[in-house]
Amino acid sequence: MDRSATSPSALTGVVRGNGDAVFAAIVRCAAALILLGLGGMVAVMAWGARGAFATFGPAFIVDKAWNPVTQHFGAAAPVFGTLVTALLAIALAVPLAFGIAVWLTEIASARIAGVIGTLIQLLAAVPSIIFGMWGFAVLVPFMAHYVEPFASHTLGRVPGIGPLFRGAPYGTGFLTGGMILAVMITPFISAVMRDVFLSMPAVLKESAYGLGMTRWEVVRRIILPWSRTSVVGGIMLGLGRALGETMAITFVIGNANHIGWSLFSPGNTIASLIALEFPESAMGSLKFSSLMAAGFLLMLISLGTLVCSRLLLRTRAAGR
Amino acid sequence: MAGRENAAAVATSAPCASGRWQGDSLSDMRRRMVDRVATGLCWLATILVLLMLFSILFVLVRNGLGGLRWVTFVHVTLPPGQGGGLANAIVGSLIQTGLAVLIGAPVGLLVGIYLAEFTATDGRFINLVRFISDLLLSAPSILVGLFIYMIVVVPTGHFSGMAGALALSMLVVPVVVRTTEDMLRLVPLSMREAAIALGAPRWRVILFVCLRAARDGVATGILLALARVSGETAPLLFTSLGNMNWSVSPAAPMASLPVTIYQYAGAAYEDWTALAWTGALLITAGILMINITVRLGLGRNRK
Amino acid sequence: MTVAEKQPVPAAISVRNLDFYYGANHALKNISIDFPQGQVTGMIGPSGCGKSTLLRVLNRMYDLYPGQRATGEVIFDGCNILGPKVNLNVLRARVGMVFQKPTPFPMSIYDNIAFGVRLHERLDRTAMDARVEDVLKRVALWPEVRDRLHDSAAALSGGQQQRLCIARTIATRPEVVLLDEPTSALDPVSTARIEELLDELKADFTIAIVTHNLQQAARCADQVAFFYMGEVVEVDSADRMFTAPRENRTQDYITGRFG
Repeated sequence: MDRSATSPSALTGVVRGNGDAVFAAIVRCAAALILLGLGGMVAVMAWGARGAFATFGPAFIVDKAWNPVTQHFGAAAPVFGTLVTALLAIALAVPLAFGIAVWLTEIASARIAGVIGTLIQLLAAVPSIIFGMWGFAVLVPFMAHYVEPFASHTLGRVPGIGPLFRGAPYGTGFLTGGMILAVMITPFISAVMRDVFLSMPAVLKESAYGLGMTRWEVVRRIILPWSRTSVVGGIMLGLGRALGETMAITFVIGNANHIGWSLFSPGNTIASLIALEFPESAMGSLKFSSLMAAGFLLMLISLGTLVCSRLLLRTRAAGR
Repeated sequence: MAGRENAAAVATSAPCASGRWQGDSLSDMRRRMVDRVATGLCWLATILVLLMLFSILFVLVRNGLGGLRWVTFVHVTLPPGQGGGLANAIVGSLIQTGLAVLIGAPVGLLVGIYLAEFTATDGRFINLVRFISDLLLSAPSILVGLFIYMIVVVPTGHFSGMAGALALSMLVVPVVVRTTEDMLRLVPLSMREAAIALGAPRWRVILFVCLRAARDGVATGILLALARVSGETAPLLFTSLGNMNWSVSPAAPMASLPVTIYQYAGAAYEDWTALAWTGALLITAGILMINITVRLGLGRNRK
Repeated sequence: MTVAEKQPVPAAISVRNLDFYYGANHALKNISIDFPQGQVTGMIGPSGCGKSTLLRVLNRMYDLYPGQRATGEVIFDGCNILGPKVNLNVLRARVGMVFQKPTPFPMSIYDNIAFGVRLHERLDRTAMDARVEDVLKRVALWPEVRDRLHDSAAALSGGQQQRLCIARTIATRPEVVLLDEPTSALDPVSTARIEELLDELKADFTIAIVTHNLQQAARCADQVAFFYMGEVVEVDSADRMFTAPRENRTQDYITGRFG
């Protein structure tokens, strides 16, 4: 069969893989774009923040003031609010997510677990502004009329933890913010937990049941120790999301530059502060720079959390 | 611990076999109680979270259904009391999310291809890129808005729909990267080898064979990314800003559903808050619809 | 080497002193073998003996994987294809390969064949149609698929898919076709059809086939090579190999004492 008539068939001398080189260059550029994206975010925040850090120094982080009139700004209150609401959210979401993951993997039949699991994942798809509106319309009044008055009359009188539950029942505040965030991140954490629980070799579980362990003992003694690392990774992932959440929290946090013991008192977070104040700050002003500095801090906090989370989740994947 | 319990069970068990079958010793009863309580709490957690979902959907429908009228879709937003609609916000959202996917999906596809197909040569760099992409997946979206404000809005001197689309595209990319990589890794090695054995250059193998084999999953990823960004508010606040008037030019400030909802929800005018709920219902229905379609489609393909 | 001297037919590919390494693992040891033009060379031997490895050297498939390397010479069309300047895409078009499992691409039957052809030739619509029809007829698939050329290839049966893969390979008009256990995943009827097919194809192509099935080697091959532990123990005509092998190891293998 004569090929030379139909196509170039020389084995050598033809430039090799030209299209491949171009293609490789293109995908590498795209990959570099990813690095540029995150690196750019950090760099631009730092650049925008330089005025605030130059003026206030490291004290910016621990300064409670946020006063546009005296041009005195500090990030202590929003940092406090960010951490408190996110930690509250974790404290509430972890038991919920764990219960759901156990229910989906150990209690419900596969068919029903599929349907319910999908429904719970739908909750994760609901945009955060919807959570905010729901929080404002449903959760805030509920907190103001029932939960907070009740809690301050009961828990508020317990020595030690009492101060946490005292204060005017506005309905808005740290606790409500934490609760909204908890509802938002529960589906994420439970999805991670469910996946890990499902990836556990069935023979381990079966032999535990074979020893006469109850379902709860199997969960406690076999499943949890086996999956601890990724469960923590999943929790950190939830924490990362909670830290940076904006719209939901802006509706229910109360938006006051405030640090205090009471979980009922209004406060703010870095994200809600930026969302509310950024439109009212002039480019180049000290307030603008302070907002960028707060954003920079948020960047560091959430990236730190996410890095921990990814490392934990990855160690496990590699160890498998 | 378990050994002690067993010993206790033996010591206190009733002499007859039936007694041991029922496990009526104290520690057995305690164990079963704990198990029941734990099981009950798991039920409770699941029901509680489902209740939240239904409560959200119920509130959305109750408050938003009334606004689903013709005028909502054909009128632009108007000052309070003049009976405006959401037409400009709906169209603005479609334009911005559409542009975001047009910009973000190709980049995400290319990076996903890079992560899945170039491990042999670029292993270390690939791990770094995957790591950073995963970080971007969960980075605070409001900071993405700030970033685009600084690098697009400030230099161009004005807010624009394009800036909004760019901010959203930064959120599209990592979602598409993830799914593209995962789906490409499912393409069997034998299929790649078969294409290479025909003398196909690598880029053709990847684009015309592997990507084609993975197309359903990749399309799913793009749809999910679309669903995710169509509800995003924070990245748009300082980029496309919002616009009370009809504007379809990406060079000008542009309205969007989420930003309009945000502006209207806190307003003191009843017709504005009603429109905010209608917008919220629309956007949630759209997003959930995409998610349900995608999940049903995935389930079907897996079978 | 002695076989090469006896062969009156010129070699399409000659392998000389080939060594192959998977990392530190020395998988092929000083292999020399000729693949005579227009004949079927069957390669037999126990699992892991290096026969598939040799096949993957002949179209440099191993190049995909870092850590795999070959030294020695593989002469094809007067050129050592192990050399650095070889255009691999042209090489692979001229030395086609069919794999153990059918690997239809996720596209229509027509496009499965056109995909390979388009890589190397610019054909107009009618010429492409004619090429597709021609190769499908050669693999005896045409009557079964003529009415559904534009349906997905995934809907075909396993045997049909494998014949499609062979059609796809010969559509680029290679000189050599490598087959890596092409029937091991197929039922006996499909296997028989593919064996018939090989007999017809050798008029136009030099064929190298790896098989675990000694009967298959005996039925299809003109020349048989026995591989053991990375070495070519014996190369001879199929008749001689299965009736009067010279080496004890060959004797042991074909009588089923190991492997």
